[in-house]
Amino acid sequence: MEKAKISAYQLFVLILLFEHGTTLLLPLAVEAKQDAWLSVLLGMVGGFVLFWIYYGLYQYYPDNLPTEYVQKIIGKVLGRLLGFFFLLYFMYIASRDLRDFGEMLVTVAYPDTPLFIVSALLMLVMVYTVRKGIEVLARTGELFFIIVYLLAITGFILIVASGLLNLTNLKPVLEEGILSIMKITFTQTLYFPFGEVVVFAMILPYVNQSKKAKVAGLFAIGLSGINIAIITVLNISVLGVDLVSRSPFPFLSTIQTIRLAEFLERLDVYFMLTSIICGFFKISVYCYVAVIGIADLFNIKEPSRLVYPIGIVILFLSITIASNVSEHIKEGLQIIPFFVHLPLQVVIPLLLLIIAFFKNRKSR
Amino acid sequence: MNRKWMFLFLMLTGLALTSGCWSKKELTDIAFVSALGIDKNEEGKYVGTIQLINPGNVAGGLQGGGGEAPSITTYSSTGDNIVEMSRRASTKISRRLYYSHTNLLVINEELAKEEGIINILDAFDRDPEFRTTATIIIAHDSKAADIVNTLTGVDKIPANKVIKTLKITEQRWGEHMEVSIQEGIKNLISPGKEPVITGFRMTGNTEQGKKLENIQQSAVEENIQADGLAVFKDGKLVDWFQGETARGVTWILDKIKVTDINISWEGEQEAVAYEVLRQKTKVSANMKNGQPKISIHVDAEGDIGEVMVPVDLTDPSVLLNIEKTVEKKIQKEINDAIQRAQKNQTDIFGFGEAVHRSDPKAWKKLKQDWNNVHFPQLKADVTVEAFVRRTGLRNKPYFFRMESNQ
Repeated sequence: MEKAKISAYQLFVLILLFEHGTTLLLPLAVEAKQDAWLSVLLGMVGGFVLFWIYYGLYQYYPDNLPTEYVQKIIGKVLGRLLGFFFLLYFMYIASRDLRDFGEMLVTVAYPDTPLFIVSALLMLVMVYTVRKGIEVLARTGELFFIIVYLLAITGFILIVASGLLNLTNLKPVLEEGILSIMKITFTQTLYFPFGEVVVFAMILPYVNQSKKAKVAGLFAIGLSGINIAIITVLNISVLGVDLVSRSPFPFLSTIQTIRLAEFLERLDVYFMLTSIICGFFKISVYCYVAVIGIADLFNIKEPSRLVYPIGIVILFLSITIASNVSEHIKEGLQIIPFFVHLPLQVVIPLLLLIIAFFKNRKSR
Repeated sequence: MNRKWMFLFLMLTGLALTSGCWSKKELTDIAFVSALGIDKNEEGKYVGTIQLINPGNVAGGLQGGGGEAPSITTYSSTGDNIVEMSRRASTKISRRLYYSHTNLLVINEELAKEEGIINILDAFDRDPEFRTTATIIIAHDSKAADIVNTLTGVDKIPANKVIKTLKITEQRWGEHMEVSIQEGIKNLISPGKEPVITGFRMTGNTEQGKKLENIQQSAVEENIQADGLAVFKDGKLVDWFQGETARGVTWILDKIKVTDINISWEGEQEAVAYEVLRQKTKVSANMKNGQPKISIHVDAEGDIGEVMVPVDLTDPSVLLNIEKTVEKKIQKEINDAIQRAQKNQTDIFGFGEAVHRSDPKAWKKLKQDWNNVHFPQLKADVTVEAFVRRTGLRNKPYFFRMESNQ
């Protein structure tokens, strides 16, 4: 474990930017049609519960990384194996997100550039930051948090001012009933983006004020949930349900629709800046967590030496993960949530918490 | 050793920086497409007419540009689909076609009638360069190519002229409306709403319109003007709405901003001009005994613009009467539009969407044959409230005194 400390506010900023990472990019809960925002809010509530589980585990072992405390909870061999699976999971999701951003850049802005070059350049920046450690990453986050928020507020004003907001698109509310919304929540929005907070279990031990960490985490999840719901509402009310479900990058289409006073138009850069900044933090956090986890699991003294090899692994994984966009998206929506997200984000942490609870009660 | 690494590092950074020039497009190698017209030839291939801007000839008055050569050049190209057509155009054009600034898409009337517009719009929806905020119009009684080829005065770029005309007439007169490709597609696929697209027609000789002499005279002979609303059903053009019927459509769609309504007064036809300044139309649906019922409520506010008969406008009760007559007139326009659309069996007003919003369960049953069965039988309850707020700089007209003197 690296000797570094971050403050509760920095944790808040990191979680917030992390949550916005790919959610700004991709359509969220499109199956819920005009009620997607409700599904996002329900997912947020689930996110609170999940964060409470991760925080509960952290409280039992405040000075250990999850890769260490799983060994204490379920034994050395099983614990190491499980820790290893978690690390694979983090690297895999990092590469998925890298692919998402690479695909976006190639589709929207650099049609002639190979995907590999775009992803490699993205990865290069992230590897550099991760090498510098969590403190640098967190401070960078504080800086970019302000920029992202300024962009978000001006972008919101632009959308409202150009009269694009057609709230009738959100009606009828609850057309398919609350049950179908719940279903979509439990198959999608709970895990992506809210369950992904599981990586912060690896970062919690770095926070210097453990009491405040809980508040910071819950606030970050709440605020990002509200933000994501607002973005979903904007997408649907500007574009309509159908167009959102047909667009791989609905928020981009929303921004492109802005036409204000004859000259404020084609503001794609808004989307590019915010999504790339948030995506940078998301992938960096995953990458960092993978690095310290592996260093811890295999007793490597200098974690920073691992950054380049892991960066290259993530980069190559992101290219080989799928042969085309549709395959990539399909995997992300139908296979990953059930077979990867559900066990690793919900079931295993919950079991660990229960075992930890009984173990610690006995020792007392 | 250290030097070697340094060298490698520099090379790598150089490599990273060169990526900025990866797909560079020099300004002199780009042809800005301002408008695109789509026709179909006898062989069944699409004919695209591409309007390119000649930047040198659009320059402002001080440079004196624009006099010698036309501000646009057009090329045409054929293909089995839009992408092929656009790529094949490179055999004729020395520059790379650049669609990011394309603002206008013109579609041939025959093409819209026979084949429909569903198939051709996908290319524009999908392409990252082409903007779906571009305006779409239908060439009424002429080829799309003619509209794209014609030179225009005042606004030197014809695409801009068309769009500005459309914008201004939507704001000032209200019989036409600007529809973007995005909106068009949205309405095409919605089961509860069908698209309406403004038509533009050529006046005069199409050959003359291509020549520079056309705009070198005070009375431009060959002009492009907004003419009618094209009404679609299942993606195919089925009818043209003109004049007050067209305005009825824009009333219901709440697109009217400012317009003029003439009413008869004391036997004189069209004697009082009422200028609408602002209005708000609300469309709502409710189910009664399993049948949908639509209620449309219009709130209009305006001034008296002109009177041609002696009316005592100082008398509030007269204004009340004028308001009532205006209400009836607006009601008639709206009812005419609804009746005509019902005859065509196409729900251009989005009544289906209103039903969907108010009663999603009932809509599921109605959705299937909404346009053919339910919409034509629909009862619409139109209520209008018009207010005359002011009468301009004068109250009684000057001939009011003349008449009372006699």
